[in-house]
Amino acid sequence: MVYKTKKKTLSFQDTIFNLQKYWSKKGCVILQPYDLEVGAGTFHPATTLRSLGPRPWKTAYVQPSRRPTDGRYGDNPNRLQHYYQFQVLIKPSPKEIKKMYLNSLSSIGINYEEHDIRFVEDDWESPTLGAAGLGWEVWCDGMEVTQFTYFQQMAGVECKPVSVEITYGLERLCMFIQNKKSVFDLIWNDEGITYKDVFHKSEKEFSAYNFEYANTDNLFKIFEMLEEETKFLVEKKISLPAYDQCLKCSHVFNILDARGVISVAQRAEYIARIRELTKSIGKVWIESQS
Amino acid sequence: MSELFVELFSEEIPAKLQINARNELKKNIKNFFIDNQIKFNEDFNVYSTPNRLVLHIDKIPNEIKLNSEEIKGPNINAPEKALEGFIRSNNTTLEKIFKKSTEKGEFYFFKKESRKIKVSDLLEKNLSEILTKITWNKSMKWANYDLYWGRPLKSILAIFNKKPLNFVFNHINSSNKTFTDKSLEEGMKIFNDFNSYIKFFKQKGILIDQDLRKKIIQNKINEIINKKNLKIEQNERLIDEIVNIVEKPAVIICDFDKKFLNVPSEILITTMQSHQKYLPTFDKKNNLSNNFFVVSDIRDTKGFVKLGNERVIEARLRDAEFFWEKNKTQNLVKQVDKLKNINYFKGLGSYFDKIQRMRKLSSLISDDFLISKEKIEIASSICKVDLMSDLVGEFPELQGIVGGHFAKFQGFDKEVCLAVSEQYLPNGMESKLPKKMYSVALSLSDKIDSLVGFFGINLKPTSSKDPYAIRRMAVSLVRLIVENETKIKLKDLIVYNCSLYRDQGYEFDTKKIQNELSDFIIERLKNYLKERKIRQDIIESSTFLLGLDDLLKAYKKSLCLNKNIKKEIGFETIAAYKRSSNILNTEKKISIESLGFADPGLFKNDYEKKLYKKINDIRKYFLSIGKDENYEESLKILSSIKNEVNDFFDNVIVNDEDIIIKKNRLELLNMLCKTFDNYFNFSKIEA
Repeated sequence: MVYKTKKKTLSFQDTIFNLQKYWSKKGCVILQPYDLEVGAGTFHPATTLRSLGPRPWKTAYVQPSRRPTDGRYGDNPNRLQHYYQFQVLIKPSPKEIKKMYLNSLSSIGINYEEHDIRFVEDDWESPTLGAAGLGWEVWCDGMEVTQFTYFQQMAGVECKPVSVEITYGLERLCMFIQNKKSVFDLIWNDEGITYKDVFHKSEKEFSAYNFEYANTDNLFKIFEMLEEETKFLVEKKISLPAYDQCLKCSHVFNILDARGVISVAQRAEYIARIRELTKSIGKVWIESQS
Repeated sequence: MSELFVELFSEEIPAKLQINARNELKKNIKNFFIDNQIKFNEDFNVYSTPNRLVLHIDKIPNEIKLNSEEIKGPNINAPEKALEGFIRSNNTTLEKIFKKSTEKGEFYFFKKESRKIKVSDLLEKNLSEILTKITWNKSMKWANYDLYWGRPLKSILAIFNKKPLNFVFNHINSSNKTFTDKSLEEGMKIFNDFNSYIKFFKQKGILIDQDLRKKIIQNKINEIINKKNLKIEQNERLIDEIVNIVEKPAVIICDFDKKFLNVPSEILITTMQSHQKYLPTFDKKNNLSNNFFVVSDIRDTKGFVKLGNERVIEARLRDAEFFWEKNKTQNLVKQVDKLKNINYFKGLGSYFDKIQRMRKLSSLISDDFLISKEKIEIASSICKVDLMSDLVGEFPELQGIVGGHFAKFQGFDKEVCLAVSEQYLPNGMESKLPKKMYSVALSLSDKIDSLVGFFGINLKPTSSKDPYAIRRMAVSLVRLIVENETKIKLKDLIVYNCSLYRDQGYEFDTKKIQNELSDFIIERLKNYLKERKIRQDIIESSTFLLGLDDLLKAYKKSLCLNKNIKKEIGFETIAAYKRSSNILNTEKKISIESLGFADPGLFKNDYEKKLYKKINDIRKYFLSIGKDENYEESLKILSSIKNEVNDFFDNVIVNDEDIIIKKNRLELLNMLCKTFDNYFNFSKIEA
């Protein structure tokens, strides 16, 4: 099925709807965003944990992603501390995945035959997740619009079968579709509401929180508490609640990092601690899958 | 005569992996043909696009003749089953089996008659293994399969003599079909020979031959720059990458707003080259222009590609400009104190600690270099401040360079700015080398301080791991010294650096560091000389028992000897030395206590006297030369002993009946060798 380029430019929310509809027709379970702060769609348990173990799985969802260090108080047209990813995960990776992906672009008004679509080498690694994959970033006329990754390892475990992950950067993609130079000028819906109306205040305030006001003494303590809780839950072999605690750990670490109170050496140590947690959770999860 | 034509179709394989896969496939297939004694056109090629890896060889015979051979089977005492198995595996009968004695006992044999084999059969049997032998620097698995490949492999087309070859490679069956469209992978088409394949894709604008793509891209670029009076920088690495990420290249000239040219050009160039794979252009005076090239993989009929890329570069340059404007006015001197918050390395303090050490170290170097102490101290103090800037955060590869621009903007002395800018150079064997004394001094102090620090906390590289690129640091240090003919006392600097660490509370074992670093740096020098194609024996002898302060000397001598070893002055010198040392070596067994000199009173003829005089003349020469020895001149002087040596050996018998005379003659030859050894340890040189 090839979608015709529509004349009317797609709003931000219509882009999401179209992608959801498209991937729904491909048999994906359409999920809602995970209700915890995460750094990327990959952290959603529907990706991390479900990519482990032998059972087939197809899903697609929007995930708000928080990257405290990328905040710019709403002053930079390209950078946000909170943004949206549209995430697709399919296990095992289907033979026709590239075709599926290119047609998904058509569904949101990008005709791949008229643009320079390029699959540019990009090997992905997440030290906190103990994860690695090979794939590409997809360029559309020079702009990176998607990450395309075949997972090789997750939570320190080799993936078998291999899942494929497609992550669209929704803001980037929409800036391309709507021909906007600033993320804040994106049209959110057909009533003319813009991205600025929805998120500018939040960018400003959260940048202040992340860079200036977050109580670091407390956050250090909270990190310890969460880490302890995770370990306790791993012992009890309940992987999903354990993973929630681990995600919280990861976010607390990200805020501390943004506050600039973690030295280079400490940084490596914290990342290693989170990775150990993820690995232990991954083990418990896999045991429950076979 | 037939052609072999194989195409492996996959999802987009990255440029570097493609190049590697081409080379591997070429090597493996060539070995196969040679091992099986099949003739083939050795001038063959392997081609690739991001999706297709293509092999084409012609002039292959359809059949090869195998000579008859005796195949050894089981020992005659082995169980009957072994014999049965042997008969079965050779597809023969008991009557044709015979016994034969060998060194290891009596065995069953089978004589295989000479026979003809179809090359297509051999290929079908072996292609799978030839493909398996391709080693990837990075490979992956996908779906449920066990195969590792650069990216998911979708189909294999294999043709010999216009007919399909059928074999199985992991989960894939070969055929005579391939996908014609890399995007949707929808239509498949049968091909029976290479020419029709190439032609078919050429009609679609797709060029399978990478060299052809390169030529077309370069021609198109040249055409445009000639028209626009521009230049491009020859960047083979980038061009080769671009060539291998497109199948139907279309060169598009784009531009960006001229106002961005106010941002330092390195920042703009890095943005274009490493982030976007664009080719920047320059005017005839080598100033960056606002035109740049995009090589698209599609013909830009609607202008979308040009527009899109111009928008991308604008967004990126706007970011860069924003940071440049913000950072350039931030006072470098006032920020030095903030370096206390930036950790240099665990166990080696902050960057503030590091620049304190560098300041003192470079100040000591400035004495040897006869440069201003004040200026080098300023350069050391501000050189790491740019690490805290947004720009270096965005462009880590521009550390130092960005700092140099800040310094220039803030009115620092020209040589100070250049030193800051070049402090990380050279970065390894091939990188650019700073020439100005301030730059060399700053770079030296940075590298010495890092090496001493890492050895101090025992983070030396192991044979397989070097996570902090310490080897590269050391070879850079070697290059700074030898290529710039830098006269520094490296040993003293290392000891002083240890004391600077100690002043800051880091207790290092100076003696240990000194020994280990000395071995390590000399090892790097050997490696460096090897890269410079110096003969191994010259390297070994020039670095034997070498002291750290003599790196330059060892380097110059090896270069000189390497250059002259086959010429008369080298050849004669070594011949004279070898003739003498050979005799000494054979006589060593008799164990003569050497006095270190010969007694002229015991000479019996003129030949001895003349040789003795010549040796003394050479000794005088070596005593007379100061620091600035001309190594070629010295070699010439050594070689001039040729006549005296030849006369001596032609007319004098060393092995005289009188043991005292004999000993004296040996002493004379020993003097010669010792004198030569002063210049170079010739004993390790192979004549």
